[in-house]
Amino acid sequence: MPIRIAAALLALFTLPIAPVAANAQLKVVTSTTDLYDIARAVGGSRIRASHIGEGYQDPHFVEAKPSFVLKIRDADVWAFVGLDLEIGWMPLLINGARNERVRPGGSGYLDVSTAIPLLDVPQGKVDRSQGDVHPLGNPHYWLDPENGKRIAHLFRTRFSELDPSGAAQYAANEKAFADRLDAAAREWADDLAVIRGKPVVAWHTSWRYFAEYTGMNIVGFMEPKPGVPPSPSHLAGLIQTMKRTGAKVIIMEPFYDRKMADFVARNTGATVLVLPPSVGGEKGVDDYIALMRHDISRLAGAVS
Amino acid sequence: MHPSITAAALLALVAMAAPAQQMGDTTRTDSTARADSAARADSIRIVREIEAMSAGASADTARPTTVSAGRSGPVNPRLLPDISAVGDIVGDFTPRGSTQEDGTRFGVREIEVALQAEVDPYFRGDIFLGVNDLEKVSIEQAYLTATALPGALEARVGRFLMPVGKQNTTHRHDLHSVEYPWVVKSFLGEEGLTGTGLWVSRIFAPFGFYQELQVAVVDRFGEDEGDLRTTEPVNEELSALGYSARLRNYWDLSEASNIELSGSAITGKRAQPLVCGVDALSCIGDDGEALGVAARQTVFGADFTYRWRPLQQGLYRSFILQAEWMRQVNENDPRIPDELALTGAAYAGQRGSRSGFYTFARYQLTRRLYLGARVDHLDSPSREEEAGGSLNAQSAYLEFFPSEFSKLMAMFEHVDQSGMELAFPDLGPSRRANRILLQATFALGPHKPHPF
Repeated sequence: MPIRIAAALLALFTLPIAPVAANAQLKVVTSTTDLYDIARAVGGSRIRASHIGEGYQDPHFVEAKPSFVLKIRDADVWAFVGLDLEIGWMPLLINGARNERVRPGGSGYLDVSTAIPLLDVPQGKVDRSQGDVHPLGNPHYWLDPENGKRIAHLFRTRFSELDPSGAAQYAANEKAFADRLDAAAREWADDLAVIRGKPVVAWHTSWRYFAEYTGMNIVGFMEPKPGVPPSPSHLAGLIQTMKRTGAKVIIMEPFYDRKMADFVARNTGATVLVLPPSVGGEKGVDDYIALMRHDISRLAGAVS
Repeated sequence: MHPSITAAALLALVAMAAPAQQMGDTTRTDSTARADSAARADSIRIVREIEAMSAGASADTARPTTVSAGRSGPVNPRLLPDISAVGDIVGDFTPRGSTQEDGTRFGVREIEVALQAEVDPYFRGDIFLGVNDLEKVSIEQAYLTATALPGALEARVGRFLMPVGKQNTTHRHDLHSVEYPWVVKSFLGEEGLTGTGLWVSRIFAPFGFYQELQVAVVDRFGEDEGDLRTTEPVNEELSALGYSARLRNYWDLSEASNIELSGSAITGKRAQPLVCGVDALSCIGDDGEALGVAARQTVFGADFTYRWRPLQQGLYRSFILQAEWMRQVNENDPRIPDELALTGAAYAGQRGSRSGFYTFARYQLTRRLYLGARVDHLDSPSREEEAGGSLNAQSAYLEFFPSEFSKLMAMFEHVDQSGMELAFPDLGPSRRANRILLQATFALGPHKPHPF
C-alpha cells in the first residue's frame, strides 16, 4: 500500500505541467489593462500578452487567484505598475508561479515605475496614520500620456533585450504608438484648454498625474487620507472647500460607491463624473489612447 | 451588570473607536493638496524639459528608459529583511467564566513577529516567532524556500504550517473566526498543526485548471507531548515520522466566482497515554512525566471553498462558503514496551475512528463590515467512556476592518456536548455553554499580501 501511494505521488510530480504550445512569441503578463494595451502596441505580433486586473476593478485589491498563478508561471515578462500598487496580491502570485524569469532580478521582472518621474513621493516620516500611503510615490502614473510614451519605450527596450531579432519591429511599433498618441493629443488640445485651471474634487489620489497633464486643479479629495473612506466631518469640510473654490465636478472611479459623492454633489450643485481609470473600465474604452481621449473629453464637457 | 451587556457595550465602544479616530484625523485641506500639487509639478516640468532637450540632441533616444526622478537609489540599500508584527488580543465575556486556556478575561493571545527576505538568488527565508504569556517565545515557523527549482517545483525545509486541510494553512490571526474550527482544534491542535521537516510542492494543469500537490515529511505528527513521554522516541523508525499530502484543485466559475476542492491526509505516530498496572509507579518516568506509547494516527479529509466577489463592486461585496470534513483513524492496540506490559500497563489512548466537520459562510455587508456564521460537529474521542458522544456548535461573527491593518471581531458561540469530556470544565457541569469572545488584531510593518 505505501509503495502504491508513493508511486501515485511520484506520477503526479512528473506529470507534464500543461500542454505546451510551440511558438516563439514572448509571453507577457501585465498587472493592469493599461500596461497590457501598451505592451501589445509595442510588441505587436511578436508577443502574446495577457493581464491580471480588469479596468473596472480597484488595482489595489485584486484577488491572488491560483488561475493567475498559471498565467505567470509561463511568462517571459511580468510587467507591473510598482510603487506598491500591487503589494496586496502580487507577492502571492510571483512566489506561487515558481518562474525564475519573473522573480526580482529575473530577466522578465519589469517594474514599470522605474521609467517614470513620480508624484507624491512622501517627504519626512511615513506611517500608516497617513492612510494607505505609497512610500515610494503615487503609482497611478499611466493617466499621463507622457508616461504612456515612457512605458512604451521601456517595453521596447526590454522586449528588444529578450528578443533581439525583433528590435527593429519593436522600435517601429513604439514610434507608431507615440505618433498616434501625439496625433490624438493634438485632437484633444482644445479640451485641455477648457480644463486647464478648473477646480475639481477627486475621490482618490489616482487622478494626480491626470491633473498634471490636463491642468485641472484638484482642490480636495473625497478620501480624507489615501484609502480611507469618507467620513461625515471630512465631507462637511470638503463641501465648504468646494463652495469656496467653485469646484463643480467630482471625479471618481467606477469601483467606488457613489452615494457619498452624490451627497456632496447635492450639497454643492456639482456633477459626479465617473471616469474609467484604466483601459476596459467602461464599455468602448478599449485601448490606451481611447481611455485618455474619453476621460479628457468627458472632463472637458463637465467643467465647461 | 450582566456580562453579556458588558460585552455588548465594550464591542460597541471598540467598533466606534475607529471611525471616531478617522473623523478626528480629517485634516487634509484643499490648500495642502494644492501645495503638494504645485511642488510635484515642478519636478515633473524639470523632467519634461530634460526630455525635450534630449529630443533635440537625438531623436532616437528621445525618452529616458530608467529613473528620471524620485527613484534615484535602491529602495533597501542595507538589505534589511521585511520586519513585521501582528498583535492578537482576545477578550472573553462568556457569562459563566473564561474559556481561555490561561483563564484570562482579557489576554494578549499572541504577538507574532515575522522576518522575511530573499536569502540569495536561490532561497527565500521566512521566520515567524510567536510570543505569548504561556509559551513565552516559540518558533512558530522558520523555513527556507527554494525558489529556483525547475519544473514548477517548490521546496521548503524548516518548520511550517502543515498542508493539511484548508484552514490549517492560514495563520490563526488571519482567520475570519476567532479560533480554528472544532475539528481542526481537536485533530490538529489549538493553534493549528505545524511540522519540522521537508515540504515539496508542484503546480500543474494537465486538465486546464489549477492543481497543486503538496507533500511533506516531518519529524513527527504534532507537537512533542510535554507531559507525556514514550519509552521509545515516537520518531525512532522512519515509518513513524509524519507524512502528509494535499492535492488542491481550483476552478474559476466566472470572473467573479471560483471554487476550490481539495483533499489531504497525514499519518504518523503520536504519544498516547497508558493506564498503569499493579505498580502505579511503573508508568511514571524518572523525571516525573507520565509514560506513554507511540501509536499511529491518520487524519484525512476534504475541503471545499466557494468565493464570490464581483470585480467592480469588490470593495463592498463578497461572499465565502467553506466546508471541511476530516476523519481521524487510530491504531487500536499499539505495541506496549515489554517493561511496561509486564507491569500490567494497558493502552488508554484513542481507538477506532471519528469524524468532524464545519461549514462556514461570510458575507460582506459594507466596505468594512462582514457577517459570518459557522456550524461545527465533532465526534467524541473513541475511548470507551466517551463512545458515541459528540460536540455540536453554532457560532456567529461580526468582523469590522477599520483598515487593512486592523480588525475587530465579535463572536457568539453556542456549544452543546453529549457523552464526551467537557470542552470547558471550568464552566460547571452543564453540557451547554454560550461563549462571547472579542478579538482585536493589528499589523505593523510592511503591507503583507491578503491571504486567498
